[in-house]
Amino acid sequence: MADSYLGIRLNALRKAQNPDGGWPYFPGKQSWLEPTLYAALALHGEPEADRAWELVSTWQQKDGGWHPSAEVGFPHSTTALAVTVAAARGEFGSPFQNGVQWLLGAVGVESRLYKRAILRVGSVFGMVEDQRDFSLKAWPWKLETSSWVEPTSQALVALKKAAPKIPGKELRERVRLGEAMLLNVRCVDGGWNYGNRTARGDELRSYPETTGIALVGLQGRPEVGATLDLAGKMLRETASPMARAWLTVAMRVNGIFVDVHAAKLTPDVLIAALEALGAPEGNYSLLKVTG
Amino acid sequence: MKITRRELLPVAGAAALAGYAAWDARRLAPPKRTGTSAVAIMKAASYTVDLAGKITAGIRACGLEVRGQRVLLKPNLVEFDPNTCINTNVAVIAAAYEAFLKLGAAEVLIGEGPGHRRDTYALAELAHYRGELEKFDSLFVDLNRDDVSPVMNFADRDRIYLPNTAMRADLVVSLAKMKTHHWAGATLSMKNFFGLVPGAVYGWPKNELHQVGIPESIVELTRIFHRSFAIVDGIVGMEGNGPIQGTPKQAGVLVMGSDLPAVDATCCRIMGIDPDKVEYLQMASDRLGITEEARIEQRGEKLAGLRTDFQLIKEFQTLRLA
Repeated sequence: MADSYLGIRLNALRKAQNPDGGWPYFPGKQSWLEPTLYAALALHGEPEADRAWELVSTWQQKDGGWHPSAEVGFPHSTTALAVTVAAARGEFGSPFQNGVQWLLGAVGVESRLYKRAILRVGSVFGMVEDQRDFSLKAWPWKLETSSWVEPTSQALVALKKAAPKIPGKELRERVRLGEAMLLNVRCVDGGWNYGNRTARGDELRSYPETTGIALVGLQGRPEVGATLDLAGKMLRETASPMARAWLTVAMRVNGIFVDVHAAKLTPDVLIAALEALGAPEGNYSLLKVTG
Repeated sequence: MKITRRELLPVAGAAALAGYAAWDARRLAPPKRTGTSAVAIMKAASYTVDLAGKITAGIRACGLEVRGQRVLLKPNLVEFDPNTCINTNVAVIAAAYEAFLKLGAAEVLIGEGPGHRRDTYALAELAHYRGELEKFDSLFVDLNRDDVSPVMNFADRDRIYLPNTAMRADLVVSLAKMKTHHWAGATLSMKNFFGLVPGAVYGWPKNELHQVGIPESIVELTRIFHRSFAIVDGIVGMEGNGPIQGTPKQAGVLVMGSDLPAVDATCCRIMGIDPDKVEYLQMASDRLGITEEARIEQRGEKLAGLRTDFQLIKEFQTLRLA
């Protein structure tokens, strides 16, 4: 096991854990919420993951959102991943509940009525790209900014995980709108980039990494069938280890067999965690959702 | 109530620590530019000529002293498309690295935080940075995922978080690409500073900067990173629907200087763009640098005769220099 694709990555993660229990993006640096939570998922059930959760619990704000690192003082879209990890750990107490409420309250600034009016006028005068249905409420990286593919996909996973514990229509409606937003910003080639289909009228290409991330958020939806073929092609062609890791996780949660590459381990902690999650015996099922 | 000196000590200590931890952008503000500024233009027909020699000559012509300084080279690495020229050419980065070391810099690092792509190292590989820059992995910092510190006051925001590698550098060198930009008009040395804003905090894209306002953010980042130098790669730039989907345009020049608005205004004149009509240059003019042609001391090549009009999208036709 220690010499296997998964074992090498889990060992690297154990070695890279900071004394505070968190993980940095690169060994020796400050702990950040995102690599900490993905590493905790990869090492789910092990003491390292418990230590990480202890640290992460101190990073939740009074409003229910999590800040992205000890240094940064505002809540962040990575709150979605914290909710997902809480659900994976079976911890449905107030941190989980408050996190879900924060996600339900977080919305891209473009969906506010006054902003939609401004954007409509802007698009008439060619100052704003009229490429997206701004009524589809989705999630931003940071409050008071626009919504994008990655935070929306992460929030969809979190809310679908939370659904059995959170009664009411609000959650289901946000999931419906969030999925619709992702489908609305899909590129003409069938994949996703960060969240714009065009720029000044020219079609934009999709990216393999964001296509993988979106496919995790939309897992199980009938509309993504053709994109799974595209994801397979991207997986074979991309030079990005991060993209390969995301595409692998995406295909696994969508029930498709993937043969992992004998890729060299990179010092990038986030990539190591994602690769571990996507390994055949990895914990990718923790990102699996139903309905 | 009388407060003893001993009681004050912890308070003073905490205040000092807080002051150290949070850079105050207003205190970092550069002195107002008066008089003239030097901008060096070096002709370079291709990326195979002696670029290190030209950059060294340009730095000297601008009177920049780098001995003993920690230098961060900040290229423009945005996307990769083999059919066009989005990024600062690797030959320019290699030449700048060589030039700053030769001129006595204590340390030269390379850092970038692309606005759309999360895997910075893979992007650097596609752009040939990783293959062609010796010891790339030990020199390069992914500024999107670097450790960060708060800087107080950023336009209408009370703070912005910025990467420690950039904040600790004595000199940030904007190794920009000469391109048109479909929202800002032109992207040059000042706009290139968007890549200093960390994605781990603000996301991909860094939409916070658009919410603050693109011109406002460009000016604010230039103000904060005023200990800077610009080297604009205009050997082959980009025209049309830049900064990603435009087409290559040869201008055959490197444009350099310590006054970034002056460098960018000069680049605009080379591109056939009126700098007085570019909003962020209007905002920066006289406040952060000089954009008036008569007050820019041209070193190296003369500006006259170098103009080569870059194609502008219809929304920016009004920027065309008379």
